[in-house]
Order: sequence, then structure tokens, then C-alpha cells
Amino acid sequence: MSREYWRSLAQIEDLPEYRAALEREFPEGASELPEGMTRREMMMLVGASLSLAGLTACRRPVEEIVPYVAPPEEVVPGVPRYYATTMPFRRSAYGLIVESHEGRPTKIEGNPAHPSTLGGSSTRVQASVLGLYDPDRSQSIRLKGARKSWNDFVMAWGELSKAHAADGGARLAVLSESFSSPTLARLASELRTRFPKLQWATYDAVSDENRLAGLRQVVGRDVDLMLRFDQAAVILCLDADPLLTDPETIRHARGFADGRRAGTTGGTMNRLYAVEGVYSLTGAMADHRLRLESRQIAAFTAALAARLGAPGTSGQVDVPGVDQRWLDAVAKDLLANRGKSLIIAGERQPAGVHAAVCALNAHLGNTGKTVSYRETKDAALSSLSSLTALVSAMNSGAVQTLMILGGNPVFDAPADLDFAMAMSKVPHTIALGHTVDETSSRAEWHIPHAHYLESWGDARAVGGTLSVVQPLILPLFGGRTPVEVLGLMVGDKDRPGYDIVRDTWKTILGAEFDSKWNRVLHDGLLAGSELTEVVPVVKGESFAELARATGSSSGLEIVFVPSPSLHDGRFANDAWLQELPDPLTKLTWDNPALVSPKTAEMLSVVNEDLVRLDYGGRSLELPVWILPGMADGVVALTLGYGRQRVGRIGAGVGFDTFKVRASKAPGFDSGVTLSKLGRKYPLSATQDHGSMEGRPIVRESTLTELRSPKEEEGERRSALGVFEEKPEHFSLWNPHTYDKGHQWGMTIDLNTCIGCNACMVACQSENNVPVVGKDQVSRQREMHWLRVDRYFSGEPSGNPEVVFQPVPCMQCEDAPCEQVCPVAATVHDGEGLNVMVYNRCIGTRYCSNNCPYKVRHFNFYNFTKDTPDILKLAMNPDVTVRSRGVMEKCSYCVQRINRAKIDTKLAGRELRDGDVRTACQQACPASAIEFGDIRDASSRVAKAKADPRNYALLEELNTKPRTTYLSKVRNPNPDLERATS
Amino acid sequence: MGQIFPSSWNKLPLIAAIAVVLGPTLATAGVWYYFSPWYTDVGYSPVQPVPYSHRLHVGELGLDCRYCHASVETSNIANIPPTQTCMNCHLTVKKDSALLAPIRDSAQSGRPMHWIRVHKLPDYAYFTHRAHIGAGIGCVSCHGRIDQMERVTQMMPLSMGWCLDCHRNPTPNRRPVSEVTNMRWTPPRDVRVLAAQLGRPVNPPTECSGCHR
Repeated sequence: MSREYWRSLAQIEDLPEYRAALEREFPEGASELPEGMTRREMMMLVGASLSLAGLTACRRPVEEIVPYVAPPEEVVPGVPRYYATTMPFRRSAYGLIVESHEGRPTKIEGNPAHPSTLGGSSTRVQASVLGLYDPDRSQSIRLKGARKSWNDFVMAWGELSKAHAADGGARLAVLSESFSSPTLARLASELRTRFPKLQWATYDAVSDENRLAGLRQVVGRDVDLMLRFDQAAVILCLDADPLLTDPETIRHARGFADGRRAGTTGGTMNRLYAVEGVYSLTGAMADHRLRLESRQIAAFTAALAARLGAPGTSGQVDVPGVDQRWLDAVAKDLLANRGKSLIIAGERQPAGVHAAVCALNAHLGNTGKTVSYRETKDAALSSLSSLTALVSAMNSGAVQTLMILGGNPVFDAPADLDFAMAMSKVPHTIALGHTVDETSSRAEWHIPHAHYLESWGDARAVGGTLSVVQPLILPLFGGRTPVEVLGLMVGDKDRPGYDIVRDTWKTILGAEFDSKWNRVLHDGLLAGSELTEVVPVVKGESFAELARATGSSSGLEIVFVPSPSLHDGRFANDAWLQELPDPLTKLTWDNPALVSPKTAEMLSVVNEDLVRLDYGGRSLELPVWILPGMADGVVALTLGYGRQRVGRIGAGVGFDTFKVRASKAPGFDSGVTLSKLGRKYPLSATQDHGSMEGRPIVRESTLTELRSPKEEEGERRSALGVFEEKPEHFSLWNPHTYDKGHQWGMTIDLNTCIGCNACMVACQSENNVPVVGKDQVSRQREMHWLRVDRYFSGEPSGNPEVVFQPVPCMQCEDAPCEQVCPVAATVHDGEGLNVMVYNRCIGTRYCSNNCPYKVRHFNFYNFTKDTPDILKLAMNPDVTVRSRGVMEKCSYCVQRINRAKIDTKLAGRELRDGDVRTACQQACPASAIEFGDIRDASSRVAKAKADPRNYALLEELNTKPRTTYLSKVRNPNPDLERATS
Repeated sequence: MGQIFPSSWNKLPLIAAIAVVLGPTLATAGVWYYFSPWYTDVGYSPVQPVPYSHRLHVGELGLDCRYCHASVETSNIANIPPTQTCMNCHLTVKKDSALLAPIRDSAQSGRPMHWIRVHKLPDYAYFTHRAHIGAGIGCVSCHGRIDQMERVTQMMPLSMGWCLDCHRNPTPNRRPVSEVTNMRWTPPRDVRVLAAQLGRPVNPPTECSGCHR
């Protein structure tokens, strides 16, 4: 079977400009300085001064050694220490292990014992360490912009609290983000006791409110669900993205990958159906994907319920524009897998859909098996109506003092509420914020919000597991935590967060507190703290809502999607996340409106065209990007960009789509118009960087093909996309022998890789990979050692399928780069590593020209020169920081290999499989990457390489790559075969 | 017509020939030596804020290296001792010495000492003390007779070629791990005894990735 893969629409059109750009290793003008001076001119000018300046380097620099005065106990200089902590994110809690060098956290990994990470991580977890050292974080408490001290605030609060205590807090209000934390919940309830008339609002811009409301309808109280992908054989996602933008992404990815992996080792492979309008990562992983506007999902669910024979439904309902065979086939598959199926509705779908999905899961016998429900204990649940009520109270002057406990409502509250205006009517506003952001700059008091790596706190993960947020470092900028601020509000006393959290845990842990507490801190969780399951009793009327939820379906549909990188904008000043290409669009540093090719044709717009978007009486100018696979008629706006007051990285990057988001429809709505402005806005996408010219790069097959009988070996191999005939290799070079010691190798399973980019950020964090900025990305100068290529296949204007392929250095045994280096700056070592010797490199870039995989990256500038001192603390001390004029690339984390080798040597034992884990492998939530010694036949990587799906990239070039891939396997429904559009 | 060139000029070709041979040789030899770390780095002996004498502390009083450089066996770096380590003794010994004033000030104020680094490797070279100690490389092999130094002086060039000499043939520099800090250790006469003391052979990396990342 041969499939055509393409990376972009430009590639399909194959315009001359595209070819020209593609065929150059470096884009035109790559050697030019931005000021317009050519490199040649520059060299002439500086030549003389360089030759003189060179001599000064002969003087030996005097370097100081500054030891401790009194060394902290247990800190051995040069030996990293690891601590367990928790990153709270909305109501989720990621259990983490953080690496700390002499007291500065540098690298974050998932805690293998914690159920929400299971040792994996995600882009936002990996990048959060950079947020700690963000030099643009607020550095002091401010009163109307003037610097004040914490004591000043404590005194000011004392005055306010006396006044409010008099009337029971009737004129006091608190606005918080959602949380799930025993200490915060305890303090909140104590605050309500102290101020019984207090008004409390909880608001998340991207929230699970609809889901909780739907479950409340069914169950009758506040419960949340926990998905068990690993138990599911058939999964149907309705406008949902559980694999990327959902807070529980790590756990979902692991479960989903386990279900995929099982299929390639003889077990049952799960089958994923996705029904969605905006191409999501989950949709990209789907075996069958149906393009459907978000507003049609309710009707789809009703039609599905009828086909599933759910109680309370009757007759056959059809959905306009949906192939009925598709519905029938999905319903049949779900019914055939009772107890092993799973239906998931997306966060932006209305409560009615969530209630119906809960009922359908119960009807299919999935409750307690693939989906379980638990009370939302110790939680503040996001509620848009509480915010609306708060804003009207503020506008009416009923609020004297407003405490904003984190969050950025001026930026992300619905535009119709005009939170900034309401805030100006409140005499005393206090905002806790990481930066002096849009909200804090309008508040009377601003308090710097401590980063979680500086905070004492606690959290309850989805499922109930309790863990403690343990600080790795004292607050760098004197930040305070919500726990401390609430603690002050409750008791009028300034108490350290540590004492407050321990107070809560004294009741949780009971007797022998100190030893149990130390155990919790050490393990990173309290064993046995999961909540018991709630079994919902489903009443019949769950489907009645659906008819009402189905709105009008005419005209363009606007859909608001959280950014995979910045989420709701909270990570906007994180350079790693800004430069991370979006999984589907491969865009960096921007958030254009996404439309399908047909919609673009209808609107007669092309990529980078600026349009004016009118919706609900508000308008916004932003560029357009055509994303194949979007439902026709859908305009997707990514949230989180366009922050104005956030810092030097994120300010003014992208477009503020919150400006048009209204409280009546925070998820999706009809009634949007786009009009072309006739101007262009340049966007930086990496989708065509490093194209490999249509050669068989990604390979895929179906499960049926994979399992076809052994007799037809040749046919089967070709079905797997592996070479039918091994090309006859002949080398001009004396073959290297790799028969001694460790021989490192890697496999990447395209079947389980979900393309989430966690590996990219992990690599960036581990290897000090610089950020280059939007302009440099557009010149193809991004430095990511590991990129994730995204290939489409199928009809561009229809429903193309996607394959993701992470591409690190292939560590070729016959490396083309080595043969052309004139200074032997890239050479091979005896363990099969293609090593890069920075101090030999003179920057000819021949190696990159000769690399068929395009994995080498050149430092066109000294990208780390202007790094603020504080950001240097985030650097890995075990890896060289590269300078200008040097080529760099993936090293298989050679620093980790060396560390493990020395560790095992000193321990007097042999290196075992698993002692060395690369950063990408460790971060991968799907465990798609294996790394180890390929000479050790019992190693996981050697076993993976023995898989019939194993193939090498561009094998015919005889480069003998050490990194190989396991081909992707799709599991289509025989009733449907290839997806209909 | 008289002779333009005097007869003494007859030696010119000879002189020229010698110059042609000798000049480049001397230049090469000069660069070879004067541009190498044997000349530029060996002998570097900066004045430290406190004239700490290794000759006194190690040579005469017999302190073990690891009393101060405690992390040498477990860490990549052999730490410079914290002020507290000095004060362990100097709270009672020579507690009024003027030379120790900076140490006392540091202990009192909490401001750390600023020592001058003597043995410096380039930033892209990742040397690990713990691996070398574990392999039985004595301190003296790289640092020289510290116990005889009034002021620490760099004795070895610490150049890559010098490192590789040992990495290619480590045995002459190996000793039992228990004798690593012994400045006066001499190998036993009997090679078999030494081999038994050394235990398993070491296998130091000689490739770029061993030390550069």
C-alpha cells in the first residue's frame, strides 16, 4: 500500500518558491546579519581588530571559588539531589521529582509513584522550571504601583478585616481559580465562618464547569470522572481532546498508549473514534475521525443514544451532514464492547451532552470499568455564574474589598462582563499575581504570587490521591502563596505556609505525625488516600437536555480552544512554550484563526491574510491559517495569546481572542463573520523545515495487515511499509565495528507517539537548548535538537489523517556528517555515538548540508548572550552552553550516559538496562521511546528493534541509523474502513 | 674593476643555509614550548586571601586531603572547604592570628571566602574527581606534592594531550584506592603484589564523549 504524505498545503501545490526554499539547506540570506550588512563585509571590518583582540585571550582569566560558609546538611557540591513535589494545575495535581543542583531546581520529571504522572510529564510540566526563573516575575508588593513590604500589607489587611468583620463580610469578596487542595479548602471554609456573608467566586477561563454540571444533573451532587483509557477497547471522543489540552493529559496518554501497545504484542488494540470540528491531537490519533461542528455534537449524541438503545430515547434520529453508516458502525462497535468502551465529551460541550454521555457510559456498562466517578473533595469548582454574580455585585458597589487569589480575570474573563470596569468600582482590590499583569496593574494592592517550586501547599489529584507541594527553593522574589494570603485573611496573623499546611495534615495523618509527614514528603504522595468511587444512578431524562442544547447551525461557527502551550495565557512568558510548534499547525509564537481549506476558499483567504472577525458585537483583527482536517465552516480561535502585561517574552505575542469571548458561549457559538482586510501578517511555522522529499519516512499499516499470516512474509513486510527487498548496500568506507562495550540505540514507536511535544521541551531543558524567537524561526534557525514532524495523508480539503514522527539525531553508524567535517568536530565514539565537539567546530555547516535527516542546528548568533543572569540558574550544569558559530545536535544525552557509567563503576556493578534514560524517553507520557544497549539482547530497546515493524529512516542511504522507528498501526473498523470525511 | 663583495661574504651561503635550517626549527620549538600549557600554565601560583599552607597542614600536621576536600570521592568536584571547616580547629588553635582574620570575618558575617582557582580546566571539559579516585589515581598524579607546597602551584599542564597520555595507559598512575591521598606512596617492587592491590583493570575513555558534552 502506498500513501502520499505531505507536510503542508504548499507542498501539495508545489509552487516554485516552495521548491526553492526546500532545496536549500539554509534559507536565502541565512548568512546575512539582520542589519543588512553581509557577513563578508562584517568579516572585512572586524578582521583587523580580531587579530589584535586574539592576543588578549592568552592571559589566563582569574577565576574565584566561593565555598559555603556553613554548608547545608546533605548538600554535596556537584551532586544533584532529587525531591518530590506537586505541580497543581487547575484541579489536577502532577506528582513530580525535581532535580536540584546546590539548591537550584533545574529539571523536572514525573513521579513514577504518583497516579497522575506515572513517571511521565507534559510540555507544561517540563517548561514550568523556566517559569520559576522568569526575570519578569513581580518582585515586590505594590500599593498603587509603589513598592511596599509584606508587613505593610499585613497592617492594611488588619484595618480592612476589622471593618469587614463588623458586618459579617457582606462587602468582602474573594475570586479564586479552581483548586483541589485540603489546606485551601480548609482555609476557605474557615474564612466563610469568619465572614459568613462573604461572596466567593471561582473562575477558570478554560474550565470543566460544563462537565461537572452535567454530572451533577445525573448524580445529584458534585462528582468528577476519571478515565481509564488502558481498560477501553473502543473510545469515542466527542469534541474532546483528552490527550493534549485536558489537564489529565499525562495519565490519559499513558493509558491510551498502553492500549495501542497491547495491540502490537498480540493483545487487543483499542480503537479511537473522534468527532470534532477543530483538528485536535486526539483527532490526529483517531482510527476514524468525523469532522463535525461543535454545535452539532449534541444532535450527534442524541442520534447515537438512539442507536445504542439508551432508555428514554426512541426511534432513529439522523444528524444532517453525517453519514449514517458512520453512526451505525460506531454504535455497533460500542455495543459489541460493553464494559470495554468509553465515550468522552469535550470540556466546551454543554452540560446536557456531558449528562447524556454519563448516561450512555452507564448504559454501556462502562461505569466503574473504563470510567469511574469520585466526589470532588477539598475543591473549588469553576463557576461562570459565580463570576457573573460577583461582577454585578462589584458594579452595583456592593463590594468594598475584592481579593483576587491568583488568576488574571481582566485578561481572561468574558468580554461582556468587562471585569476591568467592574474592578474600578471596588475601593479595595488585592491581586495575587505572578507578574504585574493585566489584573494586578489595575489593583490597589498587588502581591507577587510564589511559583509552585517555592511554595508550601497541598493538592488532591483527580482520583483523590493527596500530595504535598514542597518547595525546592525559597521564593526568589519574595512571592506569597494563596495559602499564606488566605491564612492571613482567616487569622489576621502572618503565618508561614509551612505551618498552615502542616496544621491541615495533622488532622489528615493523625498520630505519629512527623514520621508520616516525612514519608509523604519523601514519596510525594499519601498512600491510600484515593477516594472511593461513586456509582451514579442514571435517570431517564438525561437525553431531554440534548434537544435544548442543540442550537442553530447556520453560518460560520466560532470555537474557542485552549492553547496546547500557553493554555489560557498563564504560561505566556515561558519562551520554551512560545517557541514550541503547535502539534498540528506547527506554528510558533502566534495564534491565527484556524479554518479548513474549503472555508478559506469560500472566504477567499490564504495563509497569513489578515481578517476582521466580527462576533457578538465585538471584533478582532487576526491572521488566518489553513489547517487541513478542520470541519468546514468552523473558525477556531486559540486562547492565551495577546497578553499585554506579562513580560518581555510574551507581551504582544499573538492575538487576544478573549476580547471576543462572551459569557453566553465560552466554548463555541454561531454568528461569526470574517472579512478580508487585504493585509498580510507573517507567521512562523516549522512545518516545511527539514522535509525529506517524499521518501518513505513515516510508515504505517493496519492491525489486520500486521496480523496477516506469516506465509506471505514479503507481502506482509511491504504492508508494514518495511522494504520489500533489502537494498544492496555497498560502502566506500571501511566498516566500523561496534562489537565491544555498550552500543547505544533508540527506538521510537510511531504507534504510541501522540505527538504532544513533551520530549521537545524535556530535551530543551536537559540540554540547554536556546530559544531563538519568531523572526529566527521563520529563517529556519530553530534550535530544537528533537523535532516532531507532522505528516498529513489523504485529501487536503477532506479529512486527512496525521502521523507524528519525533526526529532526534539518528546517530548513524556511517554518519554522512562526519565525512565532510574539515576539522573533525563531529566524530564517532566506540559506543556508536555521533559526538559533536563544540570547541573544534569552526562553523562551515558542511555537516548540516550532508545530513539527510536535517537534525543539525547551527548557532547563527550567540543566542545565550543576552540571557539574564537569573535564567542561567535554569541551565543544566552538566551540558556545555554553546556559543555563536557552533553546530549542535542531539547527543543521546551523553551526560546521562556518563553519569550512569561512573555511578555503576563506583558501585562495582555492570550497567543494567534502564540505568540510562534519555530526557525525551523519561518525559514521554506514552512511553513511546526506548533507549539502551542494543548489544544486550534482553534490553527493551533490543527487543523493540526485533519487532517486525522496526525500520530505519532512509535506510537506502546506508547510514545505518541507531535511532529506528516502529511503524504506526491503525485499527480501522472493518465496517467503515478508511474514514469518511 | 674591483671586487664588489669582500671575501668574507663567501660564508654567506653557509650562514644562510644554517639560518634556513635553524630558524624554523627554533621557531617551532619555541611555539612548541612557550605556547603550551607546560609554559603558560604550569607554575601558576596565585596569592590566596589567606596564606593557607598545605606544607604545614598536610606535610607536617598530617591532615588527610579529605578532611577538607570531603566531596572528592562522591562528587565530580573536590569541594573547597567551607569556612566552618577552618573554624573547627581555629576556634581554639591560633585563634588570634592576624593571618586568619578573613576566615574569622567570614565565619562571623556569613560572607563566603573568595579563593582563587589554581587548577582550571576549560568549561567544555567535564572532569570528575570521583571516577578518578575510584580508579585509584592518586591526588599527587595531577596536583603534585601538595604536602610540600607553601602556596599551591599548578604542577601539571592539565592539557588534553596530558590527560590522554594517562587515559591511554593508566597503570603507571594507579595505586590502591586506600592510598589515593597518600603523598608518599611508592609502588611495591613486586609487580604481582601491585596488580593484586589494584584489582580489576580500569578502562578510561579516550573518546571525545568521555569528557566533552
